[in-house]
Amino acid sequence: MNKALVLCLLGTSMFCCVFAQGTPNTAKEIDELKAQMQEMRKLYDARIAQMQAEIDELKGKKTMTAETAIMAPVADNQTSSNVPPVPAVVEKSDLYTQLKGKVEQWAAPVSKNANLDISAIIDMNYHHDNAHEELSHIREEISGFGHHHEEGEEGHHHHHHGDKNGFNLHHIELGLSAEVDPYFRAWTTLAFEDEESVEIEEAVIQTTNLPYGLTLSGGKIMSGIGRINRQHSHNWDFADIPLVYDAFFGDHGLREKGVQLTWLAPTPFYLLFGTELGNGDNEKFSNHVDGDVLPDHDDPRLFTSFIKIAPDLGDKHAMQFGLNFVTAHHQIAEEHDEHEHYFDGRNYLYGIDWVYKYSANGSHGMGDITLQGEYFYRDSRMKLLNNGHHYENKQDGYYLQALYDIAPRWRIGARWEQLGLVNECEDPHEGSWSAPSSYRVAGVADWKLSEYSMLRFQVARHSYSTEEEREKAWEFTFQLQISLGSHPAHDF
Amino acid sequence: MQSHHGAPYSPCLTFYIMYKGKNMKNTILFFILLAVSCIHAAPIRILTTTTDLKSITQMLTGDLAEVTSLTTGKEDPHDLTSRPSFVVKARQADMWIRIGLELEIGWESAVLRDSRNRRIQVGAPGHLDVSQGIEPLDVPTSNTGREAGDVHPHGNPHYWLDPLNGRIIAHNIATRLMTLFPEHKETFATNLILFEKKLDERMFGKNLVAKVESGEKLWLMTIRGELDKYLQNNNLKADDDCWLGRLAPFRNAPVATYNRSWLYFLHRFNFQLAGELEPKPGIPPSAKHLLSLVDTFKQKGVRVILQEPFYSLKAAQLLSSRMGVKIVVCPNCVNGGDDCEDYFKMMDNLVVKLGDALAK
Repeated sequence: MNKALVLCLLGTSMFCCVFAQGTPNTAKEIDELKAQMQEMRKLYDARIAQMQAEIDELKGKKTMTAETAIMAPVADNQTSSNVPPVPAVVEKSDLYTQLKGKVEQWAAPVSKNANLDISAIIDMNYHHDNAHEELSHIREEISGFGHHHEEGEEGHHHHHHGDKNGFNLHHIELGLSAEVDPYFRAWTTLAFEDEESVEIEEAVIQTTNLPYGLTLSGGKIMSGIGRINRQHSHNWDFADIPLVYDAFFGDHGLREKGVQLTWLAPTPFYLLFGTELGNGDNEKFSNHVDGDVLPDHDDPRLFTSFIKIAPDLGDKHAMQFGLNFVTAHHQIAEEHDEHEHYFDGRNYLYGIDWVYKYSANGSHGMGDITLQGEYFYRDSRMKLLNNGHHYENKQDGYYLQALYDIAPRWRIGARWEQLGLVNECEDPHEGSWSAPSSYRVAGVADWKLSEYSMLRFQVARHSYSTEEEREKAWEFTFQLQISLGSHPAHDF
Repeated sequence: MQSHHGAPYSPCLTFYIMYKGKNMKNTILFFILLAVSCIHAAPIRILTTTTDLKSITQMLTGDLAEVTSLTTGKEDPHDLTSRPSFVVKARQADMWIRIGLELEIGWESAVLRDSRNRRIQVGAPGHLDVSQGIEPLDVPTSNTGREAGDVHPHGNPHYWLDPLNGRIIAHNIATRLMTLFPEHKETFATNLILFEKKLDERMFGKNLVAKVESGEKLWLMTIRGELDKYLQNNNLKADDDCWLGRLAPFRNAPVATYNRSWLYFLHRFNFQLAGELEPKPGIPPSAKHLLSLVDTFKQKGVRVILQEPFYSLKAAQLLSSRMGVKIVVCPNCVNGGDDCEDYFKMMDNLVVKLGDALAK
């Protein structure tokens, strides 16, 4: 057995040698090879010593100075032949030692404010629309969405951020982020809107050191569901949030105080699983009302889970799919005919999102194409506690958008949106009924003057189906957005 | 740090045993060896941000590592976005090598963060910034803000186009590889010597390197500004077909470029930087700006505009029609076009293209 193994090893190593080196024809060639190998051996022994010295020096234990290490091969070379004499300084020193003298910092430069990145976004616009009332108000009246139809025109408790005709200071954002310690990173984004309110968009503490591809985040989190939800408004491709987000979560999307756990699976393609537990403070999806009649659902009331899958399509193409699920307790209190009406129930949301990007490798993005779409279906099951009647709504919405970089730094795009393709409502007064859908179409052109400033022009046509009639309007937005502070990293 | 035993011979061994394995004992041995060779064959996984780093790293590791570059060499490395496939590659990597000087600032942090790979985060031993020891050019002297365009506060990051910096990059990578994978120390050291030898010979010529018996000494004299004197005194000269020799006749020739990305290259080969077509780094030139350049360039005697393939040709063509200047479109990254499959070929291609354009 042993003998066989030795034979095998011998045979293999010979086979490998021949395989690796090719077949030297003559004894002369072999001699040459040997000589070369010997020379190499000498050189790299010295090299190893020298590099080891450098490594040791870096580690702080100077066992051998770089100088003594490098002297070895030089002295060796000196014994031979007629080399033209080089200047003494050159003879005595080593290239990398010299370079060290020349470059003050033999280490990668460190950013001055490496510990804290500060950034600010200023997003202002000139807005004009020809609707008879504020568009965000009209959206609240879309049949089947927002208010229960019998409560109708009352109860505008919501705070709207709709742009008014004229100049708007749409969004001022202040962001701070840093690596906290070896275990956490953290960031927060404060948004100032309409000059009157300050909102904490995000305040997240995230682990950086968990094993197995896990990341745990806590704080106020922009939910990982969908595609646009996780993006700050300054990264959107259009001036406003898609209709379907506005209808199901409001114009800020789904942001919750809670925790998020994500796992990047060890697959050869991108596969991310995520789940979140949130308080449930979203006015449109998981409101909680303090009322004597209403049951006290203990926090957390909102649960989400999502999967993102992205096959590797090579250097020019990239694609990602997402599957999303959200469920939460939901309560509404509405005043009607001087009576408080209390609703209690549960919302379920199912969604898919998809994005495709093509990189043309042009100057400043020229020729790039982005296609993107998201679809959400909401199943709302509410009970009017005053009389025990059931109200059930099944509704959906989607958007599709395409963007094309038409010239260096110039981009054009279009978005088509529909809300209430399925718009089935059931209530005790009218039984089952179905409302027509609403839609919006928008065209956009933007010019990124630099990495930090952008001008955007957007025109949109709205057509909303409300209780009274179909509301139609044109909307024009001329937006100027700039960013200050640290250079942003571009997410996919 | 997990240990790797890249064993290129293991598969051969396995096949040999398979061939010999005619009885039961040998069959069992075969399966054991197959299992062992599978474990052993796992190569070191290295992820580089650019193709130039990939090329140099590959020459140092040989078959011991699987080296992947995130950029393809055909795009502007400034204008990249993170992608899911980048994240997947980064998650598996044992080592991350970057150019630094903020070249990758627009996307590196997003990829590293999403990869959740602790081995390659900034500051970890598996994260290497090869700009260590490079003498940066274009470091802003005053507190320049962004009104000056896309200025890199630590200096111009396109330093790999100076062959000396290529040598430093290789040295930095080999040193780090030796620390991380000491079991392959000898291979890395051998390959580094081979790389340095080849680079020195491409730069100064085989004959000159052989006469002086050390490329390193030639470099030392180069950085001390003593090379010319030394060559003159000893009646030596760089070979005609090496980089230095090929470009020597055009010493001090004024060359215009689209972006300041060619600075290190032009500096090393003693060209005169006549100016850029971009009014400010990262800002595309307007027709008005270009017309204002015509007089300046004429005055300086500019005959060549050098630019990367991914920038629009319109600006250079406008100048060419006004003053008959030659346009040299040449990749400055490995795989950025034809004839630049590795670092040496990329530099060869650049030297030949520029040399030819200036010779006409």
